[in-house]
Amino acid sequence: MKKIDISTILASAIHESKNQVGTLLYQLQSLKDSMVSKDVNQKKIVLIEESLKKLNDEWVEYLYLYRLASDGYDLHVDTFLLDEFLDDQVFALQPSANARSLELNYHCDAGLTGTFDERLMTAVVSTAVYNAFRFAKSKISINAKQENNFLIISIEDDGQGFKPIEEEPDEFLEGNTGLGLYFAELSASAHRTNDSQGYIKKESSLSLGGASLIVYLPQPSNEEH
Amino acid sequence: MAQQDFSKKKALLIEDMAEARIMQRKMLTDFGFTSIDIAMKAETAIELLKNKSFDVILSDYNLGNGKDGQQLLEEVRHSKLIPNTATYLMVTAETSIEMVMGAIEYQPDGYITKPFSQAGLQRRLSKLLETKERLYDVNVALDKGDYESAISSAKTVMEKHPSLTGKCERIIGESFLEIQEYNKALSLFNKTVKSRKMPWALFGKGKSYFLMGEFEKAEQSFRQLMLDNRFFVSAYDWLAKIQVAEGKLEEAQATLVEAIARSPKNILRQMELGKISLLLNDSITAEMSYRRAVFLAKYSCYNTAEVYLNHLESLARISDNGPLLPRQRDNFDSTLKKVHESFFEDPNNKAKAYSCEIDVFLADKDILTAKQIFEAWLSEVKGGAATAPTKQQSSTYAESFGI
Repeated sequence: MKKIDISTILASAIHESKNQVGTLLYQLQSLKDSMVSKDVNQKKIVLIEESLKKLNDEWVEYLYLYRLASDGYDLHVDTFLLDEFLDDQVFALQPSANARSLELNYHCDAGLTGTFDERLMTAVVSTAVYNAFRFAKSKISINAKQENNFLIISIEDDGQGFKPIEEEPDEFLEGNTGLGLYFAELSASAHRTNDSQGYIKKESSLSLGGASLIVYLPQPSNEEH
Repeated sequence: MAQQDFSKKKALLIEDMAEARIMQRKMLTDFGFTSIDIAMKAETAIELLKNKSFDVILSDYNLGNGKDGQQLLEEVRHSKLIPNTATYLMVTAETSIEMVMGAIEYQPDGYITKPFSQAGLQRRLSKLLETKERLYDVNVALDKGDYESAISSAKTVMEKHPSLTGKCERIIGESFLEIQEYNKALSLFNKTVKSRKMPWALFGKGKSYFLMGEFEKAEQSFRQLMLDNRFFVSAYDWLAKIQVAEGKLEEAQATLVEAIARSPKNILRQMELGKISLLLNDSITAEMSYRRAVFLAKYSCYNTAEVYLNHLESLARISDNGPLLPRQRDNFDSTLKKVHESFFEDPNNKAKAYSCEIDVFLADKDILTAKQIFEAWLSEVKGGAATAPTKQQSSTYAESFGI
């Protein structure tokens, strides 16, 4: 038998699973609709729903990760109003934050625009926020600004912050393989202009005191001819 | 964001999977829609759109075996079956979204990725309808073909709502192209390409240069788009146009073959490849393209005599080199049958079909049948039902029949 590329098989398996998660979500929605609002199981159902949504978002992340790593991803950049983009992200993640009693909000100038791949950045922001859910005490904040031809998006929380590098191997034991960070890095560096490339930084949050994942995306400059 | 009142809006829901259809219908009902029509496939949707007007069209990308949602969109926008004032929202999966985003010429007003929640859909629809309301005057002008007032309305909207600058600039640029103000279009697209990287702006730049006859510069823009994203298949079509205009037919053919490998279901692209291949005497490629076009034409608004007659023509040209294979002969008969059924009223169509048929029988060395067809043709000419054979056709046939 011809040997087949295992990563391609895994990617299509993930795709299948993701579709099943979608079906489960639909079924759960109709179950929720058929229940009276004061049903004691309502809360449990919301938790299941949030977990399924997270699972779906993770599958999406893995699919993009596979395609970024195998050069099968075509970047589709467009220009967006950050106020709208971040509002969409917070809207999508708000139910999950509520289920964990965490506060989630965003800050940026009302007129700030940025050029990037919307789907990739949606996946990066949701991955980072899900990660922040695990560490935040009460608050997560998404911020955006432009500096020196870079659009800077940071996801900050009020948790313990990033651990020093030497402690990181332990994270494997906690089930965190750093895949999310790797994904963010690949996504950022897929954004290129003539002279620069995107990147990420792990820092501590000045405003909230916890971790801050910062994504730098190069922007087309006006002076270009 | 203002809360939208959906109760007076007419919705069309196009989805082939029963479960998703029921769910989405329920969602729309819950938002307040009272008028919801349902189509399970693109062909049914086209019939509905021909007979009724809709404000919101919610279509899945995957629609089973027939046309997909993107083809449906291209067809109904191209044939103006839906006005610019209507909102088209495409439902996509992770695998299909690239095809939708890559279609730079005909994009839906928005897309939403499965799975989505009721709140997510409501929010997306509310936003899109709000944008449509703001652009109402612009879209009404576009629907009337009044591009000057579309431009001035778009400028007003842009000032009032800076977040719609991109949309307005695109409309202004494309309207300039419509009224042949190529220089104005070019300078606008150029400005946008420099300050905000938008694929449509680079596309508009290429089109402007093409229409100005600056083929080299046009080619640069389209090649850049092809490099940026392999799903920008329209860039291939325009590159092929340039190559045809420059008389490089072989190159144009190669470009279209590549485009079709990426996106095979576009009937106009198949027809163009067929046309170029016939010019190149490549009847095998021509036949393949026209055969696909015949397949795609069914239930489409491009269901014209041209598609079928060209298919017959390409098979007749294959028969110039010897008898058709049984499979090719079957194709010929089936397409001829469709011409007889739907397009045989037109005298020119009749003449074309008869001449192809004679060629095919002559290749089979079945001179008797060929002669009978020729006689039938001539008798129809007498009654005025068919166009007469050309002098060259008459003399070729006379020679073949041994008269």
